[in-house]
Amino acid sequence: MEFLGLVNYALFMAIFIAIYALLALGLNIQWGFAGLFNAGIAGFFAVGAYTSAILTTEAVDGRIGGFDLHFVIGWIGAMIAAALVAWPIGKICLRFRSDYLAIASIGIAEIIRLVIKSEPALTNGARGIPGIPRPMSDIGYMESQVAYLIIVLAVLIAAYVLVERQFNAPWGRMMRAIRDNEDAAKAMGKDVEFRRLEAFIFGAALMGLGGALFAHFNRSITPEAIDPMVATFLVWIMLILGGSGNNRGAILGAAVVWIIWSVSEIATDRLPHEYAIQAKYIRLFLIGLMLQLVLRFRPEGLLPEPLRGDQRSAKGGADH
Amino acid sequence: MKTKLLTLAAGLMTATALATVPAKADVKIGLIGGVSGPIAAMAPAMIDAAQLAVQQVNEQGGIGDGEKLVGVVGDSACNPQGGTDAATKAVNIEGVAGIVGPHCSGAVLAAAGSVTIPAGVTLVTPSGTSPEITNLEDNDSVFRTVPSDDYQGRALARTLKDMGYGKVAVAYLNNDYGTGLANAFKTEYVDALGGEITQFAAHEEGKASYRSNLAELAKGGADTLVIFDYGDGTGLTILRQALENGFFEKFVGGDGMKSDAVINELGAENLANFVSSSPVGEKSDSLDIFNEAFKGVGGDPDAIFANTSYDAAFLLALALEKTGGKKEGVGAALREVSNGEGEAIRPGEWQKAKELIAAGTAIDYKGAAGDHNFDAKGDVPGTFALFEVGADGFEVVSEMN
Repeated sequence: MEFLGLVNYALFMAIFIAIYALLALGLNIQWGFAGLFNAGIAGFFAVGAYTSAILTTEAVDGRIGGFDLHFVIGWIGAMIAAALVAWPIGKICLRFRSDYLAIASIGIAEIIRLVIKSEPALTNGARGIPGIPRPMSDIGYMESQVAYLIIVLAVLIAAYVLVERQFNAPWGRMMRAIRDNEDAAKAMGKDVEFRRLEAFIFGAALMGLGGALFAHFNRSITPEAIDPMVATFLVWIMLILGGSGNNRGAILGAAVVWIIWSVSEIATDRLPHEYAIQAKYIRLFLIGLMLQLVLRFRPEGLLPEPLRGDQRSAKGGADH
Repeated sequence: MKTKLLTLAAGLMTATALATVPAKADVKIGLIGGVSGPIAAMAPAMIDAAQLAVQQVNEQGGIGDGEKLVGVVGDSACNPQGGTDAATKAVNIEGVAGIVGPHCSGAVLAAAGSVTIPAGVTLVTPSGTSPEITNLEDNDSVFRTVPSDDYQGRALARTLKDMGYGKVAVAYLNNDYGTGLANAFKTEYVDALGGEITQFAAHEEGKASYRSNLAELAKGGADTLVIFDYGDGTGLTILRQALENGFFEKFVGGDGMKSDAVINELGAENLANFVSSSPVGEKSDSLDIFNEAFKGVGGDPDAIFANTSYDAAFLLALALEKTGGKKEGVGAALREVSNGEGEAIRPGEWQKAKELIAAGTAIDYKGAAGDHNFDAKGDVPGTFALFEVGADGFEVVSEMN
């Protein structure tokens, strides 16, 4: 295995980590800021991915599309579409408390997945949409991965900066107040329902963007990518492991879980053949076990939520 | 806890970096399949069939100057995330010269689009049947040893018409395999041949009971049910419930239904009116040779896509012999070893093939699942046969045109 191979693998992992970090950031807005247990990440991921695919691919008989727009417009369209889909869902489901919201959102994600699988006129049904353009794909293998990584990192950093600024801004503090003590927030005149919906929609938009980035990386999107295991469950583990309520934690959790998910296969492949095959099934079990251990021994995650906000501003305030 | 987890992650990365000592004399091919996930029941047999090819190659002289051929198994979990992950690891960490797999069309499209086409590694899928794979812009690096669903659906329609089946109802699994087959079947049966399909309905996999689906399908008055599904899974449930409730009299299945699980679960005596199609080699003694060899290592030759997996691995090995173990030029070499002209090579005849390649003679591989004369897009047209359930497993009824 040469050095170049390792570099390519690291680049690939970095791209995937960045995409999943975007999804985790979106989930953090919904769960960490607003306390909404959204178990339907796969649905928004799918809406974003397919919207971007439809907007940027060429015309095909029997399916809407053919707009052949630039990928940036595709990505913006993905965010808007995910937000638009989140609005009616939020209006109906957000009045439920946590477990019921989880059940409702799982149901919504499955509805979206089945609609995508069954509507050939919209999404080419079970065959998926291939031929999605990827920016900078004409240059060599490693170079195009580097280029895509730079683009994805730019998007991730922009999203992170925007969300992190909100954490200590009045909006962020209000959201956390609503999450922690809804009655007090209502008594202070905050429109709780509207704010929850706002957080839900913002989170969904980020998830849609993550889906679009994923679709363009693979140059195709098929319904198998909307598997709840890899699109919902994995993101939840990343957020809980990394630290719910902490944006850096979301990114760190994405990195740790994906590295363990991917690299564990390389380690177990060193075992004798029969055990190596069985170890692949154990990978799923291992991730679930990790979640149990985290919840038992360190529920706040690797990087806990900074309860007093940004420590620097607190110290600065105490100085006078 | 925090340091422990971070150390775990760091430890895994170091283990990878240190533990891989490249044995310079090995030529590696990737065997990527849905080991975990929805096709976990089918994948082991497919990987075992590919490993059989690898084993035969090594027993009869290896690649080039006796270099060992090694099959590196990767798990795509039948979704694009796993497919790209496994393909990236195979191409970059293991340095494979070719890949057999992935098994699911979605994973094939993703792995090809993000890894193998940019990296110039040839990919031969033994079970990716989506017509979308045909249209990939792949610089001649994506092939398949299984015919696109279009061909099989149309061939089955023509055969049923010839055999005199009248009104049929069609039940298909709502994934790319079932939808592709069903649409191709319908286009040929109704539009081209003027047959009648009374009900045409998709169903989701994994439900406990399909009685409502079957009742709906039985409404049109057809006496034959065509099932495009997997005999290892949902298709078995549908067939069993149709038989139990007496919904239809005759049953027809696609190649997914030609599985031992159907015979074992339902009993050959109940399957007298069940036929299923499957791709076969033109000279079907290739299939017999493969069946014997696979039974010899403990495999089930009737397992779905076992023959296509074997052919994919053996073809890749032949191409690598031609290129001397290098990944460049494998696509062109694949065509050269299987284009219809040259000395016939049957499954398992590795030593003969090695000698002929060394002497510069053209060879033509006749596979267990067909002759595999790749067309311009890397597809194979496929010949099919119709099978019925005999005393000893599936038996050929007739060739399908």
